[in-house]
Amino acid sequence: MHISEGVLSGPVLVSGIVLAAVGVAVGLKKLDYDRIPRAAILSASFFVASLIHVPVGPSSVHLILNGIVGLILGWGAFPVILVALTLQAMLFQFGGITTLGVNTMIMALPAVFCYYLFGRLVGRQPRIALPAAFVCGALSVFLGAVMVGLALTFTDENFLKVSYLVVTAHLPVMIIEGIITAFCVAFLKKVQPDMLRE
Amino acid sequence: MAHRVTIFAWVEGDKVFTESKFSGGKRVKQGDVIVYDSEGNQLLEGKTDDKGEFSFGVPKKTSLKIVLIAGMGHRGEWTIPVSELEDVAGPQTKITPSQKAVRKKTGKQPEISHLSSNEIRLTVEEAIDKRLKPVMKILVELRENRPTFRDIFGGIGYILGLLGVAAYFNYRRKSAEIDGKKTD
Repeated sequence: MHISEGVLSGPVLVSGIVLAAVGVAVGLKKLDYDRIPRAAILSASFFVASLIHVPVGPSSVHLILNGIVGLILGWGAFPVILVALTLQAMLFQFGGITTLGVNTMIMALPAVFCYYLFGRLVGRQPRIALPAAFVCGALSVFLGAVMVGLALTFTDENFLKVSYLVVTAHLPVMIIEGIITAFCVAFLKKVQPDMLRE
Repeated sequence: MAHRVTIFAWVEGDKVFTESKFSGGKRVKQGDVIVYDSEGNQLLEGKTDDKGEFSFGVPKKTSLKIVLIAGMGHRGEWTIPVSELEDVAGPQTKITPSQKAVRKKTGKQPEISHLSSNEIRLTVEEAIDKRLKPVMKILVELRENRPTFRDIFGGIGYILGLLGVAAYFNYRRKSAEIDGKKTD
């Protein structure tokens, strides 16, 4: 979901940077020192996940993993995703430096949103937690795709048309991420149940 | 959606060939290709075919900026400098050094001098283009520069480094707290 350099207009880029900066500030404030190792691991996972291509569908898509990042870190998803995106932009030339703000918003805002929706549910018994985790993984990708559509609306592409394209391209990813998130939650419930209750 | 698209263009004879790919190697189908001259005026536009390829005749002797818009926020560009287009503008009348050389040679060997120097030049160019085609293909493949292991582990290293910095400040904070308690 990386928007390339030179696509978006100036005002969209600037508002992306401002909003992302606010998110990162809130995230850093909420991220206490004890949770930093957790954040680093998730940042590394997010960084590498973009290399896993899903060869289904019309476009070329990859894993995002913003759902699980949001679920475990809440607002901490903002700094974590910003760091990973910066490294992706520098090392892989994914997205771009000027679009970092917008791209951070695209992926981190759904993560935080899903944290508020599902953060409590995944702490409950598996009958509720696992479906919630699946929906969380899928919904965060879906919302990211809608965010892409929103960002591109302000240039000249039609919101509904672009969102439809991005969402359909990401349907396989949504399902895969839902399954991955459910597996992660099931695993964490066994091994580190306190990680899901913050 | 991928995260990066690349377009690669090269000149062959009087045509420009382009190839467009998403990172990961998937071809860009039905992507818009727009060609600009050095002043930013749009010269022509077209769509890539199912193999991600698009070719066009050289419209003007200027450096060409070729922009690929693959939709959903993807954009890539490639510039062909004017120097690569030097020999393109049709049959030339001025004599290039290579033509001079050909003339000298043909003077010594009159039996092959029936061909005009221009014809020889065109034939040679054609043959070279033909030979270079596989080489250009290889260059296209190489240009793709997918993320290497060095990039991946480098990135993870940066993240661990940041973790280290955070741990350091945490340690400083904690030891300051302990020191504070001791002096109380």
